[in-house]
Amino acid sequence: MRKSRSKRKSNIHLQQPTINPRDFQFMITKVAVSQICKSVGFRRSRVSALETLTLVATKYLETLVKSAASFSNAASRTQSNILDLTNALHDMSLQVGFMGASTLYDHNNNCLLKSSVLESLSDFVSSTNEIPFAKPIERAKERESEEVNAVPGSFQERGGHIPEWLPRFPDVGGTNENCDKRVNGEQLWEDSSSVLGCQIDGFEEKRCGSNNVGKLPKGRSRIKFRVNNGGGTRVGLNGISCNNVFGQSKDEEEAEPVAVCEKSVKSEEKQILVYKRRKKRC
Amino acid sequence: MNHNPQSSDGKHDDDSALSDFLASLMDYAPTIPDELVEHYLAKSGFQCPDVRLIRLIAVATQKFVAEVASDALQHCKARQAAVVKDKREKQQKDKRLILTMDDLSKSLREYGVNVKHQEYFADSPSTGIDPASREE
Repeated sequence: MRKSRSKRKSNIHLQQPTINPRDFQFMITKVAVSQICKSVGFRRSRVSALETLTLVATKYLETLVKSAASFSNAASRTQSNILDLTNALHDMSLQVGFMGASTLYDHNNNCLLKSSVLESLSDFVSSTNEIPFAKPIERAKERESEEVNAVPGSFQERGGHIPEWLPRFPDVGGTNENCDKRVNGEQLWEDSSSVLGCQIDGFEEKRCGSNNVGKLPKGRSRIKFRVNNGGGTRVGLNGISCNNVFGQSKDEEEAEPVAVCEKSVKSEEKQILVYKRRKKRC
Repeated sequence: MNHNPQSSDGKHDDDSALSDFLASLMDYAPTIPDELVEHYLAKSGFQCPDVRLIRLIAVATQKFVAEVASDALQHCKARQAAVVKDKREKQQKDKRLILTMDDLSKSLREYGVNVKHQEYFADSPSTGIDPASREE
């Protein structure tokens, strides 16, 4: 009979709807708090009690961190350090009390880093068994943002008006070496054979550079340009292929096969476009 | 405790103890994961690239939760011991250690958090009733 009653009760608790927000972070905190409760010695928990404790733990964490951040801001810093955190911990634990709280602001006798709060924390770390979180958490968004930030490298140097898919500027840091080379070239200018050698080297470097430029740091999105002539013809070109067309050929008839051969251009609309043009000429 | 200015050796010991503690946090995995703490740090405007400080915040929060939970456990045990004295029949049934709102609110009150459980949303029919009236 007892077992059946307990089963009924557990079913009731499972079916009970929870009112609190079911955010992802809340669920993770709930798992961590329940792990701590289990380590303390609890076997079961009411849902409402666990959620209340989770909320209180979240509020504690946020208050601690905000207090530390405000301490660092008051010291006109943006990054917080352990002194700000120690001050925040003192403020948070004033309710319960700790050793040395009476001489907290006596600067003659008190050093902030040997506070009893930090000592109790180190005792807690040494005395408590290490319980890692149940499951590892992936941080996908942060990885993506790190990659994006890492790839452009000199993000501050390239202005916001330049699209991200455009290739990077050549390295500015190499200007000193180039200057040295230029100085060497001026010295060697009278010697014709060395001048030729320098030019060949220069061309090779340019070719290599152009190969590197082909690898874009970020996949570009498709861009359309609408050119309204008198007839109202619609020209849809990819940005880079458009530059190639105008740079390589002045004649329109030659431009069309070059544009068709471009790999990056989506072929279907292109073919339709060429077809329309030829039709008009006919 | 810090009335007497300590010697330089004592200060050195304190510094080394603190640095050892911070260094030990590099290998320590708190129950509250780093990713969660970093989320709340970013939400609250706390900037720090040091992993040890993040771990320290996690350890502080874990210590707070553990203290509250252990206090609630003591309240729970004390309440069960009082019940068991009167009625030994319920001993096995009430032997289970369950975290309830009553014990939690009692333990949180010591930490400056006033939690009042709403009677309407009671966990069980016997939640809002005193143990003395429950026996009848």
